[in-house]
Amino acid sequence: MEIAINVFLGILGVYFLVGLLVGIIFLLKAKKFDPLMADTKKKVRFLLFPGVIATWPFLIGKLFKSKTV
Amino acid sequence: MGLDYQLVLWNKYKKTYDKIIALSMLLYVMVFAGVTFAFNSETSIETLVIRAFGSLAIIMLHLILIIGPLSRLNRRFLPILYNRRHLGVSMFIAAFIHGGFSMFQFHALGDVNPIYSIFTSNMDYGSLTNFPFQVLGFLALLILFVMASTSHDFFLGNLSAKVWKRLHMMVYVAYALIIAHVFLGAFQQETSFFTIGVLAIGFIIVTSLHLITAFKERKIDRTKVSEKDGWLEVCNISEIEEDRAKIFTVDNERVAIFKYDGKLSAIHNVCKHQGGPLGEGKIIDGCITCPWHGYQYLPSNGQSPPPFTEKVATYELKLDGEMVFINPKAFEEGTEVNPCKI
Ligand code: HEM
Ligand code: FES
Repeated sequence: MEIAINVFLGILGVYFLVGLLVGIIFLLKAKKFDPLMADTKKKVRFLLFPGVIATWPFLIGKLFKSKTV
Repeated sequence: MGLDYQLVLWNKYKKTYDKIIALSMLLYVMVFAGVTFAFNSETSIETLVIRAFGSLAIIMLHLILIIGPLSRLNRRFLPILYNRRHLGVSMFIAAFIHGGFSMFQFHALGDVNPIYSIFTSNMDYGSLTNFPFQVLGFLALLILFVMASTSHDFFLGNLSAKVWKRLHMMVYVAYALIIAHVFLGAFQQETSFFTIGVLAIGFIIVTSLHLITAFKERKIDRTKVSEKDGWLEVCNISEIEEDRAKIFTVDNERVAIFKYDGKLSAIHNVCKHQGGPLGEGKIIDGCITCPWHGYQYLPSNGQSPPPFTEKVATYELKLDGEMVFINPKAFEEGTEVNPCKI
C-alpha cells in the first residue's frame, strides 16, 4: 500500500510541478495558447492560471503548433 | 460566442445571484455556529469551521446536482441554471476551506508533508469502520478543483467541448467519493444524525430527479409522429406556446419548433456552445436564446447574429389546417428557410 501511495502522490506532485511551469508560461505568453487572449485583459490570465495548471496536458499541444505562426 | 474573453460574463442578474449566493453562505455558517455553540459550547473554532464548511459544501453540491433536472421539469428554475457555474466555484471554495482546515488541524503539525499524512496517518485501508475517509475527501476535492478552475469559456474552447464535458461529468464521481467520505467518517467522528439524514434524503432526491428527467427525455424520443408524403405530422399548432418551442425527434435528431410573431421555424435542438437544449429556451429580442448560457440564434436561419458565427441546422415546416408538418431532412447549418406563416 505504501508503495502505491508513494507512486500516486509522486505522479500527482510531478503533474502539478509541470502544470505550474506551463501555467507560468501561460501568464507570460497566453497568446500562444489562444489567439483570443491577445485582446483579453491581463487580469483574466490570473483567473485562468489554476485551470491551466490542472489541464496542461490538453493545452501544451497548442504551444508547439503555434510556434510556426 | 465572444470575440475576447471576459473576466466573468456579468449581467445584472448574475451579480444579484452572486450576492444571494455569498449572503446565503455567510448566513448558513453563522446559523451553524450559533446552533453548535448553543448545544455544544466546548466545540473548538477549528472543528466548527471544518463542520460548517464541510456541510455547507455538500448542501451546495446537492443544489448543483438537482438544478439541471429541475430546470428541465420546470422552467422557473432556469435562472439558477444560468448561474450554476458560480454556484460550483463557490462550492469548491467552501469545500477547500473545509479540507484546508482539516489538513491544518490534523496533518500540518507533524514533520511529514500534510498531503502525505492524509494518505498514511491511518493505513487501515482494508477496514470499513476505520477506513481513512479523509483520503476520499481529498480525491473529491481534487476533482472539484479541476472543475472549478476550468469553469470558464476559455477552457471550453481550448480543451474542446468533449473533453470539457467529460471533466465536468466527473462531478458524479466526486459526489460518490464525498458520500463515502461522510458515511465512513461518521464511524470515526461524531458526525451528527442531521448531516447523515440530510445526505440520505439528498441522495434520494438527486437520484429520483435524474431518473424522472431521463424518463421524460425517453418519452420525447418515442413520441410517434405520422408520415405523409415524406412530411412528418408533429403536433397541433396550439400545442406550442408563443415565443417558445416544442421538441420532437425527427430522423433520430432532436428538433425544436418555435412559434413567434405569427410564424413557425424549426432548428436543430442542440446548442453549439455546450449542447444545451435550445427548444427549452425562449425567443428573446427575436432570437432563440439557449437556456443554459444564453447563446442566440435567429429562428429563420439558425445563425448567431453578427459578429458571432455559430450556426445550427434548420428544417422546413408546413401547415395543413391546424396541423404542423416537418420535412425530416435537415438543411446545412445556417441555411435560410422561410418561416411558416400561421
Ligand atoms: C482534503 C480534503 C478533505 C479532508 C482532509 C477532509 C476531512 C474531513 C474531516 C477530518 C471530517 C470530520 C470532521 C469532524 O466531524 O470533526 C470531515 C467531515 C466531512 N467532510 Fe470532509 N474532508 C475533505 C474534503 C471534503 C469535501 C471535498 C467535501 C464535500 C464537498 C467534504 C464534506 C464533508 C462533510 C459533509 C463532512 C461531515 C461534516 C460533519 O461532521 O458534520 N469533505 N472531512
Ligand atoms: S449550451 Fe451554453 S449557451 Fe447553449
